Amino acid sequence: MSLLEINHLTTEFKTAQGVVKAVRGIHYRVNKGEVLGIVGESGSGKSVGMLSLMGLLASNGTVTSGEILFDGEDISPVNYTTKKEKKEYQKKMQKIRGNDISMIFQDPMSYLNPIVTIGKQMTEGILYHTKCSKKEAETRAVELMKMVGIPAPESRLKQYPFEFSGGMRQRIIIAIALACNPKLIIADEPTTALDVTVQAQILDLLRNITKESDAGVIIITHDLGVVASLCDRISIMYGGDIMEEGTVNEIFYEAKHPYTKGLLNSIANSQVDHREPLKPIPGTPPDLIKLKDECPFAARCSEAMEICTKYNPLTTKFSDTHSCKCWMHCKDRYKEVVKGDEAHE
Amino acid sequence: MSSLVKPLVEVHNLVKNFPANHGQFVHAVNNVSFTLEKGETLGIVGESGCGKSSMGRTILKIHEPTSGKIIFDGDDITNYSRHQMLPYRKRMQMIFQDPYASLNPRFTVGEIIEEPMIIHKMGTEKERKIIVQNLIETVGLKPDHIRRYPHEFSGGQRQRIGIARTLALRPEFIVCDEPISALDVSIQAQIINLLEKLQKERGFSYLFIAHDLEMVHHISHKIGVMYLGNMVEYGFSDDVYKHPLHPYTKALISAAPIADPILSREKQRIILEGEVPSPLNPPKGCPFAGRCKYVTKQCKKEMPKHYEYDGRKVACNIYAPENLEKYSQVGKTPEQAVFE
Repeated sequence: MSLLEINHLTTEFKTAQGVVKAVRGIHYRVNKGEVLGIVGESGSGKSVGMLSLMGLLASNGTVTSGEILFDGEDISPVNYTTKKEKKEYQKKMQKIRGNDISMIFQDPMSYLNPIVTIGKQMTEGILYHTKCSKKEAETRAVELMKMVGIPAPESRLKQYPFEFSGGMRQRIIIAIALACNPKLIIADEPTTALDVTVQAQILDLLRNITKESDAGVIIITHDLGVVASLCDRISIMYGGDIMEEGTVNEIFYEAKHPYTKGLLNSIANSQVDHREPLKPIPGTPPDLIKLKDECPFAARCSEAMEICTKYNPLTTKFSDTHSCKCWMHCKDRYKEVVKGDEAHE
Repeated sequence: MSSLVKPLVEVHNLVKNFPANHGQFVHAVNNVSFTLEKGETLGIVGESGCGKSSMGRTILKIHEPTSGKIIFDGDDITNYSRHQMLPYRKRMQMIFQDPYASLNPRFTVGEIIEEPMIIHKMGTEKERKIIVQNLIETVGLKPDHIRRYPHEFSGGQRQRIGIARTLALRPEFIVCDEPISALDVSIQAQIINLLEKLQKERGFSYLFIAHDLEMVHHISHKIGVMYLGNMVEYGFSDDVYKHPLHPYTKALISAAPIADPILSREKQRIILEGEVPSPLNPPKGCPFAGRCKYVTKQCKKEMPKHYEYDGRKVACNIYAPENLEKYSQVGKTPEQAVFE
C-alpha cells in the first residue's frame, strides 16, 4: 500500500478575473522511504497541489474533486462540505500537520517568526503533538539541531532567527519538520533561496535524512539538477497537470513528452559544446483562466496537431512507472474522446 | 588577451567600501582587476554578498569607487563627475535582475524604451518612435505591445522590454546583473540566446553577473570568480570551469547540481564547512582561509597575491612561485601535490 495516494485532484481559485483552475485532475503516489520530485515552472500548480493536500489553501481556493489517501486514511477535503464539517476537517488536519506530514518551506528568511526564540519555535510542534514536558521537548530540540548540523545547539536555543544565516535557518526549518518523526515530508523549493555551496550542504543533509528514516519525501522544485541527484521518481507538471512521470532515469534518458524534452534541452549543459546556442521552448506559459480543455502545452509545442488544441490528451503507459500525457503517443485512441461528426474527419 | 587591441574596459585594483555603523566599513570590492575586450563576455560568479553586483555598479560609476582605476575605451573615468560621465552613460548600460521592479508601472512599453533617448537628446520624436518600433521587434516582442503597460507582461517579456530600453542608446558595454535568475527555466534560454544574438550582430561587451555556473560558462569567454569582495580566480571560461585552480572555485563548481542522474550521483562533491565571513570585518589573510582544507600559516597572515598560473590569475598561495618550486623538486604538479 502506498503511503500517500492522490487521485484526480482538482483545485480552483475564485479571482476577480474569473475562476483559475490551478490543478487539473492530478494523481500521484508516494511509498515509504521513497523520494518523489515534482518539477514545474511558476504557476504550474506544483505548490497548490501540496497545499490542497495539507488543507492550507487560501480562502478563495477550493478542492473541487479528488481523493487523498494518506496511510490508509481518507483525508479528502471534498467529503466535508458544510461549515461544521469544514471545521471538523481542519481539526483533523491540525493533528496530522507537523506530526504525520510536515513541510519544509522555500524561504528561510520569512518562515521563522522573528520575535520568538529558536528554542520556542522548535518545541512548539513537539509540545502540541506529543505528551511531554518542556524539558523533554528541549532535549529533543537539541538532539534535532545536532542532527542537522548546528554547532553548540544548547546555547542557540535562546537566540532569535536574525542571529542565524540563511543556511542555518534552513537547517532549523528542516529540524522543525523532523521533530515529530513524520511519515511524509514535503519540501517546497527547499534550496531555491540559498547559495550554491549552501545548497550543496542542505541537499547533502536531505539526502542523509531520507536515507536514514523510512519517511516518504516529496520535493517540489524547478531545478532539474536538484531532482537528478535526490529523487527516485519524478513528475513533470505544466499548466496544472502532470505531463509525464517516471523514474529519474526514465525522465532524464527516455523522456517522451515534448515539454520534458524541451526543459532538458533548454538548460546549459557542460557535456555539450558551450558555443552551441541553447534550444529554448518558444512562447510563454498559458493563462490558467483562459485555458479550456486542450493540452496546456499545445500553444508552445513544436509537435502540436489539431487535436492538441481541442482535447486534453489521454495517458499513455510505457512501463509500470513511466507514463505521459501527449497525443503523439496515443493518436490511435482519439475516438475515446472525439465523438460525433468530428470523429469522421 | 592580446596587447595589440585596446581593451574596451580596464579595471585596475578597484576597491569599494561602503560606510556602516560605528565608523566601520563594508568591504564590498577588494582589489579587483580585469580587462574586457570588444565583443567579449566576462562572467562574474560568486555567492550572494560576494560583491559582484557592487562591482558591476561601481564600474558604471553608479557607486563612486573608493580607490583603483576604471578605464573605458582609453579614458580614465574613475574621477569623472556626473556631468562628465553623461556622454559615457550612453555607451555603458545595465540590464537589471528583477524585471518586475526595474520597469516603471505607469509608463507604456513605448515610453519606457523611449525615455533614455529623450534624456540623451537623441533624434526627433518621429525618429525615436521608429527606433522604438525596431527595438521591439529586435527583442522579439510584437508591434502592438508598444501601447501596453508592464503589468500585462510575463517575467520573460518584461526582461525583453528591459533589454530593448538598454539597446535604445546603442551602448558598447552592458552590465547584465543576474538577468535570468528571476525567470523560469524554459524562458532563461530564450533570454540567453537573445543576448548572444545581439552580441554577434552588434559587438557588445558584456559583464555577465550570475550565480548559475552552467549558464555563465555557456555565455562567457572569460570568468572571474569572486569571494568576499576578492576576485580569487580569473581566466578563460573553459579553463576555469573545467580545471579550476582555486580551492573555492573547485568547491563552487563541484557543488553545482547537474541535471543528469548518473553523472550527478557519481560526482565527487566538495561540501564546504562553515560560512562566508562578514564583509564588515574580513579576515586579515586570505578570505577563504577559514573554510579551506589546504590552509597554511601563510594564508592566515596576509592576503595572497594574484599569481599567474596556467594562463590565468589565481589568488592562492598554492600557486606562489616558491611553492611551485617545492612541488617541482619532487616532480609533482600542484594538483598532485596538494589536492590528491
